[in-house]
Amino acid sequence: MRKVLAILVCKLGRFVGKLVGKGSSLPGKAALRICPDILGRVQLPPTVIAVTGSNGKTSTVEMIAAILRADGRRVIYNKEGSNQIEGVTTLILTHAGLSGRVDADVLLIESDERYAAHTFRFFHPTHFVITNLYRDQLTRNGHPEWVYDAILPALPPETELILNADDPLSSCFGRGREQVTWFGLELSAISLDGPTGAYRDGTYCPVCGGAMTYGFVHYNHIGDYRCSRCGHRRHEPNYAVTALDLDGGSLTLDGTYTVPLAFRSIYNVYNILAAWSVCRRCGVEGGRAAEVLGGYVLLNGRMQTFRLGGRHGTLLTSKHENSIAYDTNLRYIAARKQPCGVLVIVDAVSRKYFTSETSWLWDIDFDLLNTDTVEEVVLSGRYCNDLAERFSFSALPREKWRVVPDITDAAERLKTSGTGELFVVTCFSDRDKLLSLTEREA
Amino acid sequence: MELRFFHFYPDLMNLYGSYANLLVLRRALEQLGHRVTVEAVLPGEAADLSGADFLYMGAGTERRQKFALADFARFGGDVRRAAEDGCAMVFAGTAMELLGASVTDAEGTVYDGIALGDFTSVQGRRRFVEDVYGKTDLFDDPIVGFMNKCARISGVTTPLLTSLSMGFGNEAERGPEGFHRGNVFASELTGPLLVKNPRLLEAVAAAILDRRGSPAPLPRDDWAEAAYAVTEEQLRLRAQGK
Repeated sequence: MRKVLAILVCKLGRFVGKLVGKGSSLPGKAALRICPDILGRVQLPPTVIAVTGSNGKTSTVEMIAAILRADGRRVIYNKEGSNQIEGVTTLILTHAGLSGRVDADVLLIESDERYAAHTFRFFHPTHFVITNLYRDQLTRNGHPEWVYDAILPALPPETELILNADDPLSSCFGRGREQVTWFGLELSAISLDGPTGAYRDGTYCPVCGGAMTYGFVHYNHIGDYRCSRCGHRRHEPNYAVTALDLDGGSLTLDGTYTVPLAFRSIYNVYNILAAWSVCRRCGVEGGRAAEVLGGYVLLNGRMQTFRLGGRHGTLLTSKHENSIAYDTNLRYIAARKQPCGVLVIVDAVSRKYFTSETSWLWDIDFDLLNTDTVEEVVLSGRYCNDLAERFSFSALPREKWRVVPDITDAAERLKTSGTGELFVVTCFSDRDKLLSLTEREA
Repeated sequence: MELRFFHFYPDLMNLYGSYANLLVLRRALEQLGHRVTVEAVLPGEAADLSGADFLYMGAGTERRQKFALADFARFGGDVRRAAEDGCAMVFAGTAMELLGASVTDAEGTVYDGIALGDFTSVQGRRRFVEDVYGKTDLFDDPIVGFMNKCARISGVTTPLLTSLSMGFGNEAERGPEGFHRGNVFASELTGPLLVKNPRLLEAVAAAILDRRGSPAPLPRDDWAEAAYAVTEEQLRLRAQGK
């Protein structure tokens, strides 16, 4: 009886919530209050795919959904921001009949990494994709190994893991397990000899603390690692990007399918690869999956273009507190090889909670901007002084960066201080403060 | 003057910008005209701490902290003697725990610390991840920073921060935090605490320079002062519930 009531309340709550434009976690919360083990009492679809990790969750989930739908499967999935148990409950119960049977072929869940064990207490995914684990949101997460320990209980033995072979930390989830599928990027034109960045989390083995050596690295410490002491090493991928041309905008999957890249970022490469791997494991034919990925444009596009005065601009959304996200965008700017200006804004560290913590600025490799093509870097927002202190220790010559605390003043200056592309590097929490001053392009 | 610094485990113990503490201290002393050499101490590699002016270790994850401790134990006697001799040192974040008598992990395994202080650290499943605003006896300006630890620390009689108005201290909400004795400065505050607190940077620099008989005020760092003013205000208002 409680089950039926919980489902009804959730459905009604979701209906009303949609009418008034409220978020999708409240109905699930109410249902869980009525029936705490409701997720153990529903009949789930035969395929349940979970996706978690520090970066790429939302994009990967969107791509998986697009491929599986093109393959004729009925897929339900949660949208960004509803990736804890309440949002997942709303998703499931909204699509359940009063008997508790969920009407779909595939349940696809983006899961918050810290609360995955909580979400999957009463049911287990058939496939669990972990994109990567590295420094992200220290003010909530503590550190990557703390997150690792939080995810571990969410991975029962019968769940097939789909893991990033190139990530020394998240690959540890595969230790001692049988059902593991590995994805990885093979040596390519972008590969480097060893780890890069302002800090070196890949210097020592996450298992035993021994020194690690690298055959190649794609970014930061993601690549071909091997521990000299305990033998922890990159697994041979089951699914791989076998050729990558970031400049030209294409990649080849498993030596056979070449796909154009709408967004030429290394992140996008890994998101595509993760989506490809799980869809192939679910039986989607390669040609069909490649076709969808080739025509795919990210729904939550993290790249937006605009005009500021006479200047063309690109917004590169970089999660604050995530140095690898920043590094990736800074690398993108440096690789454009065209004269440009850069605006870095740190005004509110988070849009969801209070913190005045800026340690993460020291983890970002701002030296990447020390190229001939970057003409000027403007630092703005409440924490512009912290940025300036950080830049005073960077390789950039002092005359290349300036501090303009007020975002409106910074935008005004940038209208006329250069003619090249203007790259804006900032977070969801701060991007609209700049975008509201620009003319958006479709 | 030549100043000899030792940086313990720069890659292993370097969570969230820990390395910046050394950068900002070095730059300030170099601006005074001193020559600073920094020697990295790596696991398993020889290091001679004699003649040290400053020792530093930054924060690490709990696992990496144990890897560091396995190596650091061999330096226990040298570090204690250096402390008795007035050598300045900063142990930031989880590195602070290594100075105590023992560290107990969340499974209950007990590891010996180097017993420079007689406090003990017990790690658990709850993590304290929060902004910190507190006071010290060293100077008037409040200390700002960020806590990222899972240990409760007992037995500290000479804390670095005498009280907090925001954050979890050594073993209590808003209780005293860190450890300070002579020229030994230790705090669980993670990341670049010397960048965030210009007065603390001055206190550490003074400890180094006074010992060598060459006291001098540090040059003013405008960006660091302005950044401190913003964060101090933000955290003060937050602590006051505004």
